Amino acid sequence: MTRRTSDMVAASEHVSRRGFLGAAAAGATAAGFAQDMTVLDVLKNPLIAAEIKKQQKHVILLWLAGGASQLETWDPKPGRPTGGPFMPISTNVPGVEISELLPKMAGRMQDTAIIRSLSTGIGDHGGGASLMETGRRKEQGLQYPDLGAIIARELGRADSQVPDYVSFYTSTEGRRKGTSGFLGARFAPMFLSDSMIPPNIRRLEAVSEVDHRERADLRALLARRFTQGRHSRNNVLGSHTNAYQRVRGIMASEKLFSIDSEPTAIREKYGPTQFAQQCLIARRMVEAGVPFVKVARAWWDSHGQNFETHQELCADLDHSMSTLLDDLEERGLLKNTLVITLAEFGRTPKINASLGRDHFANAWSTSLSGCGIKGGSVYGKTDADGQNVAEGKIGAGQLFATIFKALGIDHEKEYFVGARPLPISDFGAQPIDAVLA
Amino acid sequence: MRFCWPVLCALLAASPVSSAELLPSGTPINEAIDHYLEAGWVEAKVKPAPLVSGAGLVRRMTLDLAGRIPTVGETRAFVDSGSPSRWTALADRLLSSPDFAYHHRNQLDLLLLATKKNDGEFRKYLLQAARENRSWDVLFRQMMTGREANAAEKPALAFLKARAGSLDDLTNDTSVLFFGVNVSCAKCHDHPLVDDWKQDHFYGMASFFTRTYLTKKNTLAEKYSGLIKFKTTEGKEKQSRFMFLTGAEVAEPKQKKTAEQRKAEDAEVKRQIKDPKAPAAKVPGFSPRAKLVEVALGAKDREFFSRAIVNRIWLRLMGRGIVDPPDQMHSANTPSHPELLEWLARDLADHGYDLKRLIRGIVLSDAYAISSRFAGEGEVPGAETFAVASVRLLTPRQYSLSLLLASANPDQASKQVLSADWSKRREQLENESNGLAGKIELPGDNFQVSIDEALLFSNNDQIQNSLLKDSAERLVGTLKSVSDRRQLIGIAFEAMLSRAPDADEVAVFEAFLTKREKAGRVSAIQQMVWALLTSPELRFNY
Repeated sequence: MTRRTSDMVAASEHVSRRGFLGAAAAGATAAGFAQDMTVLDVLKNPLIAAEIKKQQKHVILLWLAGGASQLETWDPKPGRPTGGPFMPISTNVPGVEISELLPKMAGRMQDTAIIRSLSTGIGDHGGGASLMETGRRKEQGLQYPDLGAIIARELGRADSQVPDYVSFYTSTEGRRKGTSGFLGARFAPMFLSDSMIPPNIRRLEAVSEVDHRERADLRALLARRFTQGRHSRNNVLGSHTNAYQRVRGIMASEKLFSIDSEPTAIREKYGPTQFAQQCLIARRMVEAGVPFVKVARAWWDSHGQNFETHQELCADLDHSMSTLLDDLEERGLLKNTLVITLAEFGRTPKINASLGRDHFANAWSTSLSGCGIKGGSVYGKTDADGQNVAEGKIGAGQLFATIFKALGIDHEKEYFVGARPLPISDFGAQPIDAVLA
Repeated sequence: MRFCWPVLCALLAASPVSSAELLPSGTPINEAIDHYLEAGWVEAKVKPAPLVSGAGLVRRMTLDLAGRIPTVGETRAFVDSGSPSRWTALADRLLSSPDFAYHHRNQLDLLLLATKKNDGEFRKYLLQAARENRSWDVLFRQMMTGREANAAEKPALAFLKARAGSLDDLTNDTSVLFFGVNVSCAKCHDHPLVDDWKQDHFYGMASFFTRTYLTKKNTLAEKYSGLIKFKTTEGKEKQSRFMFLTGAEVAEPKQKKTAEQRKAEDAEVKRQIKDPKAPAAKVPGFSPRAKLVEVALGAKDREFFSRAIVNRIWLRLMGRGIVDPPDQMHSANTPSHPELLEWLARDLADHGYDLKRLIRGIVLSDAYAISSRFAGEGEVPGAETFAVASVRLLTPRQYSLSLLLASANPDQASKQVLSADWSKRREQLENESNGLAGKIELPGDNFQVSIDEALLFSNNDQIQNSLLKDSAERLVGTLKSVSDRRQLIGIAFEAMLSRAPDADEVAVFEAFLTKREKAGRVSAIQQMVWALLTSPELRFNY
């Protein structure tokens, strides 16, 4: 067994990824440091900085909280007892059909791949969410980071002036904060649950702008003097300095959270729903260099009235997602931004007595659009009634490996907790090359 | 391919240092520590950093023994003392102060429960135990087998109650926290590298807890029977045995029971689980948890128990375990100083698991007082040599208490600590620190300070309105009345950082005040105090 790419999470600072600085600054290709942009000096060069920005990769995760129905979205079953009242429609990719509840997406499937063969086995909200957030089953005594934290670590910059993991979850049902697990709070999400503006991001009126800036400079001077010649475990000392260095930048990013400065035409395109507006904020973030934004839309848990629920929610998803993809495309951001729709599980093919569909983790769907994705591709197949995966069964681990590979992240990379290596994709999980460009 | 490499759940090194080679048992703890660490430095050819300054030592020790920074009065008393025994005197004063019990309680709570839930009764229990210096084996025994009917022991059961929902948690957390061994990775397969570490060990430990359950009334009880069936990697079905980590087994006495008796026992357990009005659960004749305590503390097998807590206390005070990480005490992860660990573990067991005595011994060693700054030439010595002191993040509680003190009127604070009602005042301070402590993230493994903390300190109105308040009780109000800028800067540094500013700092701070005062003197002082409050020098024990 050869040791694969490793990354010492728990190592002392001398062997942290900061060691990469020298190599990258020596003139690595743009692709080389797009993956690990801890290169402070390089960023001061505006040309290189612009190139990096162009190359930087991002993820927007549209989290369909509660579990969207695959039959009313990506895997319709017309004419079957499980099919429900809605019909499939053809899309702009010949041979690919999706539910008629997603007409706008049907017109722009050229950048989107569908995976119809997720079989994940956990059918409760908490367990399913944990599995699909971290890409693996829970393990006693170990807290795995979720996708956002891994992406923040892999694609974020140590000195980033913008947040590197932003998570919107404004509904109360099924709300989960997300976790950076053993990667530590440095990679935890900036979590917005109550307001569209993060806490403590605004300067108090009692402190003038000049005072705020100059006292931070005075603090920085004390920090420089103190840290000289001192070393700390896991570079916690450095993280303290970094956190304060990022304050002014993060405060300046407050404007990203507001769509007021967007042209009316753009705002009108996205429309008035909260989900659509959060998608617009997500685009603003991506444009400003935020590596990971999660936008949760609740509550798809349609145990009763599945069809009315999906009529309403799919309309919002269809409009918001297609507008987001168009907008990213027009700005040249789509080729470097991966847009994912995912949930804790899908819904039962069987329609229950309340005309609902229940939790179903045996055969369900997800979509991947943009960065690194082979547009128009479909992977996997369910049987006639959608009860089982007929072809290409995959679990959360393979989906995560696929996501990593699409973003140019080594899916076999390992973190270390103590002496124990932990691969970022679940043990042995390989990507689905068929959906990758 | 499922592959877990290397699964580090082995037993302790098979050949511990023979006790004949160890320093005599009467050696003072601090001398034994210095003896073994110095031997390590010679062997590794490293030169340790010099000792920290007197003011630095007071700060470090006060944070470690009292859970807060020292007051100006405390620092000065030490620095100005000409006594050759001032170091010992400081340790003894702090260890017998009311502060120690609070801090030791907070640390034990953090270790045992605080990351799971906040339990006021458990905290009270630990505080009382810390005040009495109740020994570690007694605490362990009470946490494992405390009686529900005994008011003094009942709160100790919170350790198990918080984990009673999961057999894995009961098993693994007990193994990790009391024996330094993370057994969870031996659940699915035997250890691939070390022959003597089998699934039998995981299920052996789990067997001691498999009968433990919570009744409907939230009391802890044990069932009358039950072991665990598990499958080996070859698919063979096995039944677990009561087996400790050393391989020592406990046999359950054969009891002749009729089918009716068994049925009645099952019915009783079922009722306990469902019925809130059930009478107190009966105690079965055979208690696996009591047996675990017996084996773990027995003369033959106590090494795990003693080493694990020695290593934890060492980690607390020195920033790194002798075995690191502390839940991986096994042959594939050897101690940096095996003889020292052996000696300390033996010494602790021989002295009735007296943690205060151990703590005192460590803080009186020269090794404890080494500087955290490496000014030498060449490579920085590795953390495992303990040749340079570690820079340790304060816990949220230590930080919150320290911020309250640092931003207080320094004269008042100095007087309070020496006053007769300090005990009462210390408790108030503990309560006052709750708010801020709750806003600061509890550090876990691989912790890094997040942007949330920096934003909190930069923009939250509570920081501005409480810590930086312009009032006679707070530092800002005190500084306001000092007209000489250099004197003002000196007072601020001493109150917050427990040291005098150097010439460069005076110059920079004086320039800052001169410039910022134009926009308002109080505000200038507030910003200066803010810079000191949020500096890493106050955030870390160094």
